[in-house]
Amino acid sequence: MKMYDVIIIGGGSAGLAAALEINKFRKSKILLLERDAELGGILLQCIHNGFGLKVFKEELTGPEYAERFIDELHEKGIEYKLNSMVIKLHPDKRVEYANIEEGFVTIQAKAVILTMGCYERSAGAIGLPGNRPSGVMTAGAAQKYLNIDGYLVGKNVFILGSGDIGLIMARRMILEGANVLGVAEILPFSGGLKRNIVQCLDDYDIPLYLSHTVTEIKGESKISSVVISKVKDFVPIPGTEIEFEVDALLLSVGLIPENGLSEACGIDMDSRTKGPIVNESYQTNIDGIFACGNVLHVHDLVDFVTEESRRAGQAVVKYLENQLEKSDNHIEMISKDGVSYIVPQQVNVNNINDKLELFLRVQKEYRDVNLVVRSNDTIIKTIRKKHMAPAEMEQIKLKVEDFDSVIGSISISVEERQ
Amino acid sequence: MYDVIIIGAGISGATIARELSRYDLKTIILDKEYDVATEATMANSAIIHSGHDPLPGTLKAKFNILGNRMYKQMSTELDIPFMECGGMVLATNKEEHILIEELYARGIENGLQSHELQMLNREDILLLEPNLSDHVISGLNLPTTAVTFPWEAAIANIENAMDNGVELALENKVVKIEKNDYFTVTTNKDVYKGRIVINATGIFGSDVANLISKATFETKARRGEYYVLDKDVRVANRVLYPAPSEKGKGVIITPQYHGNTLLGPTSEFVDFEDVSKTTASGLEYIKTNSQKLVKNIPFHKIVRSFAGGRATSSNGDFIIEESDVKGFINVCGIESPGLTAAPAIAVYVVGEIVGNILKLIKKEDFSPLRKPVVRTFELSNDELNELFKEDKRYSKMICRCEKVTEGEIVDSINRNCGARSIVGVKNRSRAGSGRCQGGFCQSEVINILARELNIDKQQVVYSKTGSEILIGKTKGEK
Repeated sequence: MKMYDVIIIGGGSAGLAAALEINKFRKSKILLLERDAELGGILLQCIHNGFGLKVFKEELTGPEYAERFIDELHEKGIEYKLNSMVIKLHPDKRVEYANIEEGFVTIQAKAVILTMGCYERSAGAIGLPGNRPSGVMTAGAAQKYLNIDGYLVGKNVFILGSGDIGLIMARRMILEGANVLGVAEILPFSGGLKRNIVQCLDDYDIPLYLSHTVTEIKGESKISSVVISKVKDFVPIPGTEIEFEVDALLLSVGLIPENGLSEACGIDMDSRTKGPIVNESYQTNIDGIFACGNVLHVHDLVDFVTEESRRAGQAVVKYLENQLEKSDNHIEMISKDGVSYIVPQQVNVNNINDKLELFLRVQKEYRDVNLVVRSNDTIIKTIRKKHMAPAEMEQIKLKVEDFDSVIGSISISVEERQ
Repeated sequence: MYDVIIIGAGISGATIARELSRYDLKTIILDKEYDVATEATMANSAIIHSGHDPLPGTLKAKFNILGNRMYKQMSTELDIPFMECGGMVLATNKEEHILIEELYARGIENGLQSHELQMLNREDILLLEPNLSDHVISGLNLPTTAVTFPWEAAIANIENAMDNGVELALENKVVKIEKNDYFTVTTNKDVYKGRIVINATGIFGSDVANLISKATFETKARRGEYYVLDKDVRVANRVLYPAPSEKGKGVIITPQYHGNTLLGPTSEFVDFEDVSKTTASGLEYIKTNSQKLVKNIPFHKIVRSFAGGRATSSNGDFIIEESDVKGFINVCGIESPGLTAAPAIAVYVVGEIVGNILKLIKKEDFSPLRKPVVRTFELSNDELNELFKEDKRYSKMICRCEKVTEGEIVDSINRNCGARSIVGVKNRSRAGSGRCQGGFCQSEVINILARELNIDKQQVVYSKTGSEILIGKTKGEK
């Protein structure tokens, strides 16, 4: 059985950054396994710009952003395999994969990093009422047909869900000569970034129907029209129906971390993020198995994925050097009022160098509030926030000193300003 | 001139075709759809019922018991998934307890042996079903209940029938049937002549029967809606039925062969054009009712919802008889337990009805075996590597969620009764039936279909004619 220091599952933005970061700090035998025919993951089909503002201080397209990492990977001579699908991950860090050159192979690693990314919630998962004709697909699938394969999937398009991919696709379809008749969002606020609402909908006069959802899909072999209705508390209001004649309905109704492998391996999952529960070192409950990027929790900017994966890479280096303290005595991070999740979920202070970066999302839209970090009743930190929304991930940095008085757990909540 | 023309390529038509292919007869199956098994056979609970439920003395009771005992052999010969998981009817109050005691008596009267059904109390059931809801007080255990993969059962029967000489003509909607010395069946495409016509057209049963003479029955469509849970969650170890009501068997929890769980169906008479429409209220009904039987159902793991029509006949029983027109045989109203009953119905129809009209001569070269299907997830890595040595495409994963290789997809296209559409590939190989619902693999499936069928990618259809996915090229693409 072939041995590696680190096996990284998934060659998208998270896997690439983690691989490079490990290589930067420690000469290691690394293998990056990618199931697609190219490295880069979903970035390759994101041909719009807006990537890299934080990491490179310039605006790149998705493929350009990926290329910088891929070039460096080649330069450093880090081993990777394409068209190689991991079939099974074992808790003892054996990895089974298959490809067309080698067949089905089992290899062993000292550490494994999960960087499988996420998938899109499908029409089936949300139980769309009506027929099941063709022309109903996720925005990401349409994006692949358009940007990778070079085919159009519709000329009169409606979009359900205001996630970022849906917004980006609204603009993209317009640029290809299609009519985009509107975007419906069941929530009273958008699920996408503000900048995408402005640049992809407002600039092209595409209406956004907030508090609306699709209540019927019509059409036999191909979708012929879609009916939307206004909702109150998620229940459609009769009499508010609007019908649009379409030949395609794109769905942008959420992304879900791709954790089939993780769950089958026995990794503990967080029901809120749908990703693994990790500690400050991005290590899961299974010793030596780490997770970062969209497989851990869905990010809104690739720059955050890169930064998180670099931190995970550094932690893996420490793990390989036996410098990560093993302890069950950790601090629990608790999501309180208004906070939907926090990553990492557990913290061992002794493994923090100087500061800890936390990511969280809030449950609804807030204006002029405070994010309050507490341990028991002691306030550790208060952060003033002018605006927060579920679509925008919040980042909090805690210094090692902040943990001095912490016992047991830390909670974070959204609070009115006094 | 055909000896037998079967109209309808669902489970009934499929098993009858295979049964006929044992004999020296010229047979053709006609179906109006783009693929076989697209209606009731596509949208049902996949259960091989024990025979505890139908009223004694009915055809449903007779063929249910017989069919249940034939399934294992048929599944082995045709390599159809078959999971002998057992089943149980659960009672949540005293009235329901009395009902399931009646079912026990009914099962015995229908011919079940005492080891084929037992009454259990809550404690006994909990040992078998740890996820049981707090409401359940008792149950009727039915160990001979099993689960199959219904459309694969139909596809496998038709494929084997075709291997043995039966013809299949799809997208042929029957519009006229006449009889002189023989039958003339006119479709939207062609004219077929035959000595015997078998009407196995499901919810359209009485419509087709009326083409030749006024039918003595009427078939109506009863819609059932379902939810499918992802395969990594197991909420029940066996088929769990609620106590029955006048609306049928109720919302059943059915573990599936590939690891998924099916929740449903609803039961509602609808117009034919609405049979495959799901509704918000129907799906809500399933959520509410399934939780009466088990707890902790992870509804966030739903990967799909669907609906289909069952053919209910006006007399409440199966209709399996020669009509007043000699040689025109109705096999209609084959609703539950029709999937279970199908192989037994086929033997009866061929042996007792067709055999009375035509002389049945056994074919010496009949092969009951279908070429086995590779299912990657069933094999060990050593077995997979043996396959890989023969054909590298068996190590190229196309569907990530269900682990389906290019080899399996190509095979599903190139068999008799092979896939011609994206849904056809999905129904045969499972590529695209997982949690991402083809989000990642559909474009690759289009590539494979185009290559294997030797057509352009823009001609590849989703499910039927007119359902192409790719409608044009982007700017600058030639």
